Amino acid sequence: MSGALAAAAAPRRPSQARAALLRGQGLVGLVLVGIVVLAGLLAPVLAPYGPNEQLADGNLLESTAGHLLGTDEVSRDVLSRLLYGIRVDLLVIFIAVPIGAAIGSLVGLLASTWGFADVIAQRTFDLILAFPALILAITLATIMGPGVVTVSVVIIAAEIPIFGRLVRTSVLSVRELPYVEASTVVGASRWWVLRRHVLPNSLESLTVQLAVSMSVAVFVEGAMSFLGIGVRPPTPSLGTLINDGMRNIYVAKVQVVGPLVAVVMLVLGFLLISQSLGKARRG
Amino acid sequence: MRTTKALPLALLALLVAVAMVSSGCGSNGGAGAATAASADETATAGDNASTDAGGTPTDGGVLKLATSFDVDPPTFFTGNNAQAFIAGSVYDRLIDYPPDSLEPQPSLAKAWKLSKDGKALTLQLRDDVTFHTGRKFTSKDVQFSIEQYADPKRVAQFQRTAAAVVGFDTSKPYEVTLKLAHPTSNIFDLLATVPILDRRTIGEFDTGKNFVGTGPFEFVSWTPGSKVVLKANKDYWGGAPHLEGAELEIVPNSQTQVSQLRAGQVDGIYDASFVDLQSLEASGQFQLLKLIGTDRALYVGANVESNVLKDPRLRQAIAYAVDRDRIANDVFRGFATPINLPWPSYSPAYSAKDNTTYTLDTDKAKQLVGEIGNVPTVPLSYVAESPNASASAQIIQSNLEAVGIPVKLEPTDVAQATKQLIGGEYPGLWVTEHSFGQFSPSTLAVTAYPFNAEQNASNFASPAYEKAADAAWESPEPKSPAALQAYKQINDILLKDLFLIELVDFDPVVAATPDLHGVTWTKRNELDLANAYLSH
Amino acid sequence: MVRYLIRRLPSALAVLALASVLIFLLIRLVPGDPATTLAGPGAPPQALAELRSELGLEGSLPSQYLSWVGSVVTLDFGRSFVIGGDIGTLIAEGLGNTLVLAGAALAIALVLSLLAGLAAVILDSRWLNAVLAAFSTAGLALPTFVTGPVLILVLAVLLPVFPAGGTPPGGPFEEPGATLEFLILPAICLGLPVAAALSRFLTESLRTQMRQPYVMTARALGIPRRRIVVTQVLRNALPAAMTALGIQVGYLLGGAVLVETIFAWPGLGQLIAKAIGGRDYPLVQVLLLLSVVVFVAIQLATDLIHAYLDPRVRLGGRSG
Repeated sequence: MSGALAAAAAPRRPSQARAALLRGQGLVGLVLVGIVVLAGLLAPVLAPYGPNEQLADGNLLESTAGHLLGTDEVSRDVLSRLLYGIRVDLLVIFIAVPIGAAIGSLVGLLASTWGFADVIAQRTFDLILAFPALILAITLATIMGPGVVTVSVVIIAAEIPIFGRLVRTSVLSVRELPYVEASTVVGASRWWVLRRHVLPNSLESLTVQLAVSMSVAVFVEGAMSFLGIGVRPPTPSLGTLINDGMRNIYVAKVQVVGPLVAVVMLVLGFLLISQSLGKARRG
Repeated sequence: MRTTKALPLALLALLVAVAMVSSGCGSNGGAGAATAASADETATAGDNASTDAGGTPTDGGVLKLATSFDVDPPTFFTGNNAQAFIAGSVYDRLIDYPPDSLEPQPSLAKAWKLSKDGKALTLQLRDDVTFHTGRKFTSKDVQFSIEQYADPKRVAQFQRTAAAVVGFDTSKPYEVTLKLAHPTSNIFDLLATVPILDRRTIGEFDTGKNFVGTGPFEFVSWTPGSKVVLKANKDYWGGAPHLEGAELEIVPNSQTQVSQLRAGQVDGIYDASFVDLQSLEASGQFQLLKLIGTDRALYVGANVESNVLKDPRLRQAIAYAVDRDRIANDVFRGFATPINLPWPSYSPAYSAKDNTTYTLDTDKAKQLVGEIGNVPTVPLSYVAESPNASASAQIIQSNLEAVGIPVKLEPTDVAQATKQLIGGEYPGLWVTEHSFGQFSPSTLAVTAYPFNAEQNASNFASPAYEKAADAAWESPEPKSPAALQAYKQINDILLKDLFLIELVDFDPVVAATPDLHGVTWTKRNELDLANAYLSH
Repeated sequence: MVRYLIRRLPSALAVLALASVLIFLLIRLVPGDPATTLAGPGAPPQALAELRSELGLEGSLPSQYLSWVGSVVTLDFGRSFVIGGDIGTLIAEGLGNTLVLAGAALAIALVLSLLAGLAAVILDSRWLNAVLAAFSTAGLALPTFVTGPVLILVLAVLLPVFPAGGTPPGGPFEEPGATLEFLILPAICLGLPVAAALSRFLTESLRTQMRQPYVMTARALGIPRRRIVVTQVLRNALPAAMTALGIQVGYLLGGAVLVETIFAWPGLGQLIAKAIGGRDYPLVQVLLLLSVVVFVAIQLATDLIHAYLDPRVRLGGRSG
């Protein structure tokens, strides 16, 4: 939190964050994430077979020329499933997390602006945080059934308090600063202060948190698949693929390597991005 | 900056690679061993797969087994592996069935006689049996046990049969006469299943605090979620067991069970996947105890009240469209065989010819679908936790879509699936396992949820079916001409109306250390450790 | 300090109250009638009616809620239907096991993150930083359901160093030596992500402190780097890490669900999963409430430690 105070001393311009991303760690992070995202987006072009195509070639094969990552127990090509599986996680990462972030940020913003909303919002955040994500997941799955939608709802719910608290802290710390107080005295409206001072400062800690949350989202999706309440078969996802691979580890070792590497690349990429943005913020 | 960039990546990759390589080191390329030594359906009666070439039994040692699901006292008679572990070793039954026949063998009952009208069964009981508390076993305990078993709240499989016992004559301590409401062809199925309980400690049975029986092992403790501990009963009427004791660990994760077996932490596991069984066998360091005669079958059920499945032609199309061989080989790794009817080869209702009525014939299936016209999407429910059901469901979906039947998979959890099964509430198709084909044929038709003629999971109602089921049940002898005729009718209905479609059958397998010998089992999966021993 | 604690209590209790209402409503949101689900469809109407009153499903919603709260406060939790046994006993046993596991995991995480953070700042070697970054990323990127089986494979099957899951023969509290053996692998598996996250926060916090003027002054005065870090910087860096710790501990209970399943460690995680899966409503309600209580208690505790370390917070300043 003291970092936020220090950084808020003078507003940072977005271009500095951009510059940080294009150098060193940030670049590596972007590249890692970019490779995985591109692989997922280009799945229809890159994948040799359909994701659910059950082939006559053989069952639980190790890596062969026709099947670089082997086949699974229902005779499907693992490489194709991996490429299409990335898409499901992209949906979760690039849609569910930002939605949760947006809702949370909005609530946090509102809460910090109006006193009475603050109390309600804070307690709500605590309430959601009080339920460990996986337990929330199991409970929601019992009510809603398993599937991508349930996974997304769990992630959105989990992100709301995190971003809400973050934005709230950020706004409150900025408001205390002398020059901001000064502008209020001079007659600037609440909205103007928010837009001109608060938002730019929060933006960087928000993006850092966004990167971290995205990597956590990948983990939650996988954990839910492990518990049998994640993405519904036959749709592949990184989590289900890792689980299938672990189940067949004695027979077809190569099956688990693909999705695991994809997950590691995503998580590492996001963490490097967040690290480089954090460094830029601190200067 | 360069080192900071590259190193995290490189180290990470190294870490992952090391983990993968080392995880692979202990394995064997089992993929090629698909149909190797797996399904040995022709095994004979004495060959319970634990026959040893190594001569004399050694005394001592504690047998450690592991299974996924824990004991649940209120539903003890439903017989999951943990409950079967206790039922098989702590309790005796009046008679026992050998693995591959339906000829009753004496256990607590020495001899028996059925009255001419089939409505009274008199059994002579052993007089040298005591419960673990020291109290002598008498005919009153038989009455008590059957009455407990018949209590609907205990959700026992043979409840209906037990309820058909309407009176007892326990005037003599070592003779009991069961008075039946009508001749009951599966009365011995009941007697081969009901554990003889101690009426004095039934309260403790209900809470799981103590299980008192007459069997070769005494109950020591149950730590919920953790383990069941038994110790040898030195005064057992059949002779003291070789083992000092037996323990069952509750290990929910199947892979952890396999690791524990490989590490030597346990001597046997119940829940290895068929893929793991293959690689355990291929390693040459373990034995596979195929519990021949306990018979489980994978089937597709159809709710005949649902719009789309009302039409029997659609159900027929499904019977032709599903690739049973693929399921047997790919999902069950060769441990299962395709079937059309639920009976094993020694069952009086078995018919080799009828068992191959429906084989893979996509053309016929497409033709039938074509006749029906536009087929809406059919839901296919299955229990998500079960890898066998999940993989089979995906294969079935692919098979059906190839002949023009669109399918939507509906994963459920165990609680929901049980409710849907008992209440007939499946939205469409479902795939799961059933057992009890290994008993007298009438058992399936009058007691099993998928088959019960009175009320079944498919909501299939047919006077002809009810008539045939009752005829099969109310025959005094399972093999009388009237009974055989009834079985034929039941088979015809099963094959024509297809309210459920049998796929493959298999026997459960316990993967164990090669040092384990002398294990036998009942048809209910209950291991009998009376003569088991561990060689060293 | 006491005054600070009293100031924080009302909001903590408010969260508890709200959570209890939410939990209460959640159970009634699950599709299907709880009584029929637990009794089975074949149950006679009288049995169902008995069950409904035992489950507390009779009467208006507010009265149901009040009677439930009343029973919880008097520690009369009732009976578990699916798992069997008295709920109080089940929870007590499970709680003990999970506390041992979570405690060990937390201890491992704290030790590892302290070592990592201090090493990074004292030694300040580029090579070391890279290694630490790699390990912390691995800890965060590799899912628990991968590290668990891999740990078992490598350290229990291939190299028989530790047991492959399970509990020591007499239970976790009989023999500390045996318990340690069975505890190490699951504790590492559970604690690794926490260690990774904590070490990142701590390292960042320490580095921020190192840039402060007082450190430069101390160095100029000739005080060795190590002493500065250990005596001054660490104490100032801890508060920020404390907040992170609070959230991480929340993760431990969720992560326990996975780890306890993989390592066959019979704790609350396994219990919750079984209870929800088996629709054991009375047990589910109590367990969810317990999880909230634990979380709130931990938040209070970390806030207190934070206040102890950072006088500004105690005195009413806004610092997070």
